[in-house]
Amino acid sequence: MEFFVRSEKKYNPVTPKIVDELKQIVGSRYVIYGDEEKLQPYSHDEVPGAEYAHMPEAVVRPGTAEEIAAIMKLANREMIPVTPRGAGSGLSGGAVPVCGGIVVLFDRMNKILELDRENMMIVVEPGVVTNEINEFLKEHGLFYAAYPMSLETCYIGGNVAENAGGAKAVKYGVTSRYVVGLDVVTPTGEIVELGGKLIKDVSGYNMVQLMVGSEGTLGLFTKITLKLLPLPKAQVDLLCLFKNIEEAIKAVPKIQTIGGIIPTSIEFMNKTAIKASCEYLNESIPYQQAGAMLLITVDGPDEQQIEREYESIGQLCLDAGAIEVYVADNATTSERIWKVRRNIGEAYNVISRRQSAEDIVVPPAAIPAMAAKLQELSDKYDVMIPCFGHAGDGNLHSRIVSQPWWSDEKWHKVLPKILDELYRLTAEVGGRISGEHGIGHKKKNYLPYVVSENYIDMLRTIKRAMDPNNILNPGKIFDL
Amino acid sequence: MRIIVAIKQVPETKSVKMDEKTGTVIREGVEAIVNPLDLYAIETAIELRETFSSLVARRTGHESRVTSHGARTCAARTENAGTSEVIGISMGPPKAVTALREAIAMGFDSGVLVSDSAFAGSDTWATSYILAEAIKRIGDFSLVICGERATDGDTGQVGPGIASFLDLPVVSYVSKIELIGGLKPTLRVNRLVEDGYEVLSCSLPCILTVVKEVSVPRLPTLRGKQRAKRTEIPVWGRDDLDVDLSKVGVNGSPTRVVKIFRPKVTRQCEKVLAKDDESIKEAVDKLAHLYLRLLCR
Repeated sequence: MEFFVRSEKKYNPVTPKIVDELKQIVGSRYVIYGDEEKLQPYSHDEVPGAEYAHMPEAVVRPGTAEEIAAIMKLANREMIPVTPRGAGSGLSGGAVPVCGGIVVLFDRMNKILELDRENMMIVVEPGVVTNEINEFLKEHGLFYAAYPMSLETCYIGGNVAENAGGAKAVKYGVTSRYVVGLDVVTPTGEIVELGGKLIKDVSGYNMVQLMVGSEGTLGLFTKITLKLLPLPKAQVDLLCLFKNIEEAIKAVPKIQTIGGIIPTSIEFMNKTAIKASCEYLNESIPYQQAGAMLLITVDGPDEQQIEREYESIGQLCLDAGAIEVYVADNATTSERIWKVRRNIGEAYNVISRRQSAEDIVVPPAAIPAMAAKLQELSDKYDVMIPCFGHAGDGNLHSRIVSQPWWSDEKWHKVLPKILDELYRLTAEVGGRISGEHGIGHKKKNYLPYVVSENYIDMLRTIKRAMDPNNILNPGKIFDL
Repeated sequence: MRIIVAIKQVPETKSVKMDEKTGTVIREGVEAIVNPLDLYAIETAIELRETFSSLVARRTGHESRVTSHGARTCAARTENAGTSEVIGISMGPPKAVTALREAIAMGFDSGVLVSDSAFAGSDTWATSYILAEAIKRIGDFSLVICGERATDGDTGQVGPGIASFLDLPVVSYVSKIELIGGLKPTLRVNRLVEDGYEVLSCSLPCILTVVKEVSVPRLPTLRGKQRAKRTEIPVWGRDDLDVDLSKVGVNGSPTRVVKIFRPKVTRQCEKVLAKDDESIKEAVDKLAHLYLRLLCR
């Protein structure tokens, strides 16, 4: 990936002498160096395609903020790029060391430090697997609401860095809503405490929220304070089959405007996505008739209320033309219908590994128009574009999947054309190219499609001020 | 044709936790669900009702009269051979009524809950006895269907137990059911055995316990859920059934739970460093030997 290196400042290689220094900082057993096989797993995240991968020169696994600060001081002195890495489940290349150098791994910093029940907050280290937070909180009757779909593997630190969203965003919002405090190591190696156990705080710029979603370019998190909510006691899922996308999407705003209900999630699946997933799962629901599906979840503190809510949502959907509405109010049926949504990706992995997972976000009312355009693209370029995602918030996961018989060469020739058209269309309807995956280096070149040059300049100014040597995660979001 | 399905409410196994000190299951705060293996029995019963109705419709040359809930029950009472209904029966605490409602939401006509503090703690023998009495009271049935076993007790004894108390034929582990004949049909069923399946012919009435392969359970619909909510489910206790109270509950149960404990899982690990042909052969032999020992268990 020569072009990445050339486009950034000249960096120095990691020499054995620097490795010795790293070993002194974190302990020799926590440095990986000189072993291709052991370094390889840290060269990529979940973005498919070798063209997005880049090998690190060394991987270090620090245990404290002080160790991370020392690593950053060393990296600035020696001009070596540093890329922070969570669980590597990202979808925009945020954790990929595109300029080589050092990868800082957070797997050792994986402790839940404090549950503050009085303040309904939890303090965790960045390497805690997100799902473990909720497993831990369950018995205390609390929960952390902003987890993404990859909750069983991803780290909370990565969630904060990418401002991860998820299926529950309609009601509960995304990660940023819950981060109230961050201990940060700056790109130059200073340790700073931002925010705290506060619901309101206006002491200066909102640095916590600047860090959330900074994609590892502005700071390394060493301690995260999250706001918690009472655990909902009842939950019901509805699977609604519609004849076509228009009818399905038209039902969505009615739930809130006519029904007066804010569902926890409103997931959407188009025909292509439904068919692949149901066939993959041997699911017996009559999916052949369905041109679109909505998966709607409601949750709350008591069963009677939830029953009223799901009945009125279900009725609204039937009135809006739904062919059938299935109800899942227990673990067995809930798992079964969520499987249809969760296995779309897996179903397409079986068809072809050559895919591009897109994460466009549009104003919710523009979903039918966007879905129609995606269908046009799919016909024009003869690719499969299953379209699924969060109808409630306009975040459409459209995955461009190659025909299995295509050559790599053909795929790489056609894909940029499709992306170019897709992102232009997104800009036309007032959308953005990423709702929750981030820009990383994967979508860097497309950012100017949807935001102004002045906006990107503002980002550059912040980055230069905080990271004068461009040491921390260079080559991401924009070129300096 | 009246089909009765025995349904058990069980704790959701994924969320079950054990009390490390007493060795018992912590049931508090654990979700209760329809025994997952009973869902196949529920689906099978609904499918059989549909098959039988269309069969009758074809025979009699007009549309089946199974159009509404009311029509079905009336007809069943007058012993009209042309109609059919499916009834769920469950024994358990009052909250087990939700399991019956789920079955009604999937398509059952009605349900009966057998619940009484005197029945609490019944083992599989006493449970079979009570359920058999309740089934007798429903009466006039052609078929009783059970899941192969419940995911909590894991015994698989209650289905055959009911058959024994009713003195009726039973076929367990049924993977396929065909209705043979017209208005008074018999059954041809496939029964799973270790190395294949048996094809058996069976007269009605009889009891079947079914395995996963028999059907794919449907999902309850909104309309079904609303119908289930409106359906009244009678609760039968000691006064409603002709049961000998000395044979039920903890005291009437011949089974005694003496001790509950967690089985110790022992894992032995042996590392074999296979560098040359001879040591590879040795390692393969060892693996083959282990595999054979597992098979013989």
